[in-house]
Amino acid sequence: MRTLPVQPVLAALALLGLLGFGWLAVAPNRLVSGTALSSFAALHFWVAAVALLLVAAVPISPRRPALACAALLAALGVALWASGAAAPPLLEGMPPAARVMAGPGFWLFLLTLLLMLTEAARPAAALRRTMPLVLLAMLAALWFGGALDALSLAVEYRARAPQLQDALLRHMLLSAAALALALVLFVPLGWWGFRASRAEAVLGTTLGLVQVVPALALFGALMPLLGALLRAVPGLREAGLETIGATPALIATALYAGLPLWRGIVVGLGAAPRDLVEAAEGMGMTSRRIDWELRVPLGLPIFLASLRVATVQCIGLMTLGGLVGAGGLGAIVFEGMAQFATDLILLGALPVILLALFVDGVLRLVEGRLARWRQ
Amino acid sequence: MAAMIRFAGISVNFGDGAGLRDIDLDVPEGALCVLVGTSGAGKSTLMRLVNRLVVPSAGTVTLAGKDIATRDPVELRRGIGYAIQSVGLFPHRTVAENIAIIPALLGWEKRRITERTDALMTMLQLDPALAGRYPHALSGGQAQRVGLARALAADPAVLLMDEPFGAVDPIVRRALRRELAAIHRETGKTILLVTHDAEEALELATLLVVMREGRILAQGSPLELTAMAADPFVRELLGGAGLPLRRLDLLHVRDAVRPGEPEAMAPEIDADASQLDALRLMLEHGATSLVVTEAGSAVGALRFADLDGRGRT
Repeated sequence: MRTLPVQPVLAALALLGLLGFGWLAVAPNRLVSGTALSSFAALHFWVAAVALLLVAAVPISPRRPALACAALLAALGVALWASGAAAPPLLEGMPPAARVMAGPGFWLFLLTLLLMLTEAARPAAALRRTMPLVLLAMLAALWFGGALDALSLAVEYRARAPQLQDALLRHMLLSAAALALALVLFVPLGWWGFRASRAEAVLGTTLGLVQVVPALALFGALMPLLGALLRAVPGLREAGLETIGATPALIATALYAGLPLWRGIVVGLGAAPRDLVEAAEGMGMTSRRIDWELRVPLGLPIFLASLRVATVQCIGLMTLGGLVGAGGLGAIVFEGMAQFATDLILLGALPVILLALFVDGVLRLVEGRLARWRQ
Repeated sequence: MAAMIRFAGISVNFGDGAGLRDIDLDVPEGALCVLVGTSGAGKSTLMRLVNRLVVPSAGTVTLAGKDIATRDPVELRRGIGYAIQSVGLFPHRTVAENIAIIPALLGWEKRRITERTDALMTMLQLDPALAGRYPHALSGGQAQRVGLARALAADPAVLLMDEPFGAVDPIVRRALRRELAAIHRETGKTILLVTHDAEEALELATLLVVMREGRILAQGSPLELTAMAADPFVRELLGGAGLPLRRLDLLHVRDAVRPGEPEAMAPEIDADASQLDALRLMLEHGATSLVVTEAGSAVGALRFADLDGRGRT
């Protein structure tokens, strides 16, 4: 079977972003979209270097993955650096509130290039580990070296840095708390579901229904529900529960994370082959020992995969916590939406994406390390 | 000898017509009792009664004189070796850890476990380098050996083996069979083995039990069951048209030798050889009699007419 020519298609999209759409935009303030600027106008001859590196990476990608990654990283680095360098001259003679923003072409180019990098690194296991680190190091060097300082996102960041750092920390804490709540609730339920098939059917259906409810609706619906509950049982309010703020965000996020966690426990515990369990029984293992020495270790890869899915889900969903007053990065996103300030939305959204990707990568690494006994 | 395992009036009802009916069987101490039959005959069910993986609807199973229904199943099972066809090795434990499962359950000291594991690996001709490997790295034959070592680990008086050599090729299978026979001779353990392979059953059994549709059809020594008078189903199962040859394989030249001079130029055969080997030699040389030797000197003659004891009545 012929595989889809992924790299040429992605490269074409990246070129479209580079050449076909507005690369940068110059605006008198942060709330208007400004006048678009093509990459030729913004980057001058550097466009040729970026396009050349990009196109060159395609044919060498299958056979020389490391070289292809290097070319793509270079294309990305040059494009980012040249964009950063293009901004100060554009701002000369403009009012202090003026900004140089990244345009649609820039974002399309960035996204497709990252996909190309992932695809190029795929054939080599060592590359899959080192490429993200090199990419991070390059981005950090550009950011902390000040090469991107003049772009609007960096300006927005400088204006909001303490607030953003607080929001990031709070977002991580809220996500961790929601995950912990989901673990406390659904791991025992998963165990129960594994033991009792009727419980499994009922719980599976219920948690499946929760997934069907749109997240936004669930977050919203929890507020009046909690209000009614707190009126009926005032003691809960003294225990720290509230109708707005962290309480509804934690409950809603934990409910969503429930299905993957619960399903992972049920499936993981059932992963031990039947004849193996029978052999263990025949050797005189108690059912408690069979659980801990056979079912749990054999289910571990599945538990971890479901934990990873649930964690990433918590990080992403917690963004909606901004709507119910829980704070976190979602609050910044929604503030940006209220102001129609694209940079502020991105300032909230990008860390959510990066955080989710980072946690996903780390947990995948742990999963790969764990099962030494498999092929 | 006293019965090590006694099944008395056993019925097992699974509710679907399968199961066991009216089973009475005594397995003497030190016997290698082979349960043979077509699939679905109830062999495994009968075996699994002994470690209470199956509970009888009627009747009692006694082990060393004690009704097993009165014993704690966990403690009972730890005292019985158990090896199964799919090997049942724990994939997340090393070879040494797999062998040590029951000793560890019994709370043996670490040093004693290591010594026992090493000894068993030597006994079953497993390369010591395999001790730290995981089961996925083993060949089929090695895995079966580890399974056998694990069953023997706590030195149980009784060993249950369900198609223990089911998943290996014929050559390895034969080698493992010989090793099992040797272990049985050396240790004198009572072994209950389930197989559907008649050749294996005839070679290994000291007590052969033929089962069909949940009942015992015949039991006795392989020689008794291969005799002409046995039930037609039993004959079919144990070899059909090839049965006389399999029977000859069980008989020794020594038992058919008669004193006196053989024909001139007759080929020689050792008294310990099987009568099947004698027949092969006769066919090869077109001879109707052989010189039987013991330690190199002639002790008598074996005639074609004496094969399978037909000469004496």
